[in-house]
Amino acid sequence: MLSIADTTFVEATWIMIAKSLVIFAIIFGILPILTVVERKLIGRFQHRYGPNRVGPYGLMQPLADVGKLISKESFRPENAVSTLFILGPLLPVLSGVLALAILPWGNVQDGVGLYGIDVPIGILYFFAVGSIAFYGLLLGGWSSGSKYSLLGAMRSAAQLISYEVSMGLALLGVIMMSGSLSLVDIVEAQNKIWFFIPQFVGFLIFMLAGFAETNRTPFDMPEADAELVQGFMTEYGGMRFGSFLLVEYMEILVVSGIAAAMFLGGWMGPGPGFLDPVWMLAKMFALVFIFIWVRATLPRLRYDQLMSLGWKVLLPLATLNVLVTAVLVVVT
Amino acid sequence: MEAVLFFLAAIGALGGAIGVVALQNPFYSVLALIAHLFSLAVLFLMLTSAFVAAAQVVVYAGAVMVLYVFVVAYVGGGGEPVGRDLPNQRFLAILVAGILFVELSAAVLSSALLALGTHGPDVKPGFGDPAAIGRLLLEKFLLPFEASSLVLLIAAVGAIVLAGRKRETA
Repeated sequence: MLSIADTTFVEATWIMIAKSLVIFAIIFGILPILTVVERKLIGRFQHRYGPNRVGPYGLMQPLADVGKLISKESFRPENAVSTLFILGPLLPVLSGVLALAILPWGNVQDGVGLYGIDVPIGILYFFAVGSIAFYGLLLGGWSSGSKYSLLGAMRSAAQLISYEVSMGLALLGVIMMSGSLSLVDIVEAQNKIWFFIPQFVGFLIFMLAGFAETNRTPFDMPEADAELVQGFMTEYGGMRFGSFLLVEYMEILVVSGIAAAMFLGGWMGPGPGFLDPVWMLAKMFALVFIFIWVRATLPRLRYDQLMSLGWKVLLPLATLNVLVTAVLVVVT
Repeated sequence: MEAVLFFLAAIGALGGAIGVVALQNPFYSVLALIAHLFSLAVLFLMLTSAFVAAAQVVVYAGAVMVLYVFVVAYVGGGGEPVGRDLPNQRFLAILVAGILFVELSAAVLSSALLALGTHGPDVKPGFGDPAAIGRLLLEKFLLPFEASSLVLLIAAVGAIVLAGRKRETA
């Protein structure tokens, strides 16, 4: 048995397979809905209707979008490096799906843990698989053989490194308060008070870094359309472009899920135990709404502003937060 | 299952390592190094060291190699030779490789091979998890740990000083 699997609580293999299939199916059912929700909401924010032609309330829009993307030619530029060009969109999908495994939907109920896996390294797993996604962007941008793609990939490289540090430090406060890296334990530790309140600074930093890590406005520098066309995905078309897009929504869900588990009490909520996953999902959706709200509200930062915010504001603030938390944890 | 995983990871690690030195294009060399590091992480995982594996991926594959890729993709590469060959480089390379080979063989033959027929050490529960590693680093090996952090700090400050000096003269 590999040590990454839970060592204290062992489930039958078929339960684990069934769990992964259910999680996978639900998340992949949510993703298309998320695209239409985002377009609808942005439409409302901008005082227009948003998509409302395909199906009731425009709900069939994603079906039409995906149909269009799949039926398109998978175009490849002449001077692109073909294997890496194909690998580019695959890696982020892999990383996103792997990250889904640690989102906790509830504690052990009737002998089944309502999570993919509860690893002792917990949140480190999230950062480890997250680093795979980054190579997707970089390989995609580099192998496209285009200046815009390369510049977009380079920007995302610098941006992701800069904000990953603050992201990790922002979570350190929560880890110290709960005394565990496992997401299940961290949610259980929020029995009395959600870490959102004592760790408010950490929560803010995590969400800001989350916007940057998922390439969302106001930090969507890697794909700043006014300067770089579409950044690292400029040369992609068809479903390969679709995968990059899909992954963006998946990353938003994952970051929201981690934030909900670390700061908003995860599955905690009133009602019987079987409502736990619903609470978790509701909290995730609330955070996803903030992602969309911010996109509709804030303009894109300039690149140097992005970098100085990351290194000169967020990083010192996150470090200070860790120091203060450490002192408080020792004193109390 | 374990054997299959071990050989996949071992082949990945060796193939990646050979790729680093054998590939002409520096960008592909860096990619081979990344594949090597990921394979090493899998090997750590099989040695019940989940934390070391995660640290390997987060720090090396996730941060250090990103900088490598960054530099190589910007500077480009391929074409120009990396530097002038040392005199007698071929002879020196063979000599150094030979010495390393002998040293490693001695180590493997003297100790590691003895464990081949045995079951291997019994791993205590909790071995290699973050708490155990933390206790090792901050209690048993506190002094070396702090000393190495100091060395890293000096290196970081040195890099900033050197970079700043260059800008003044330019």
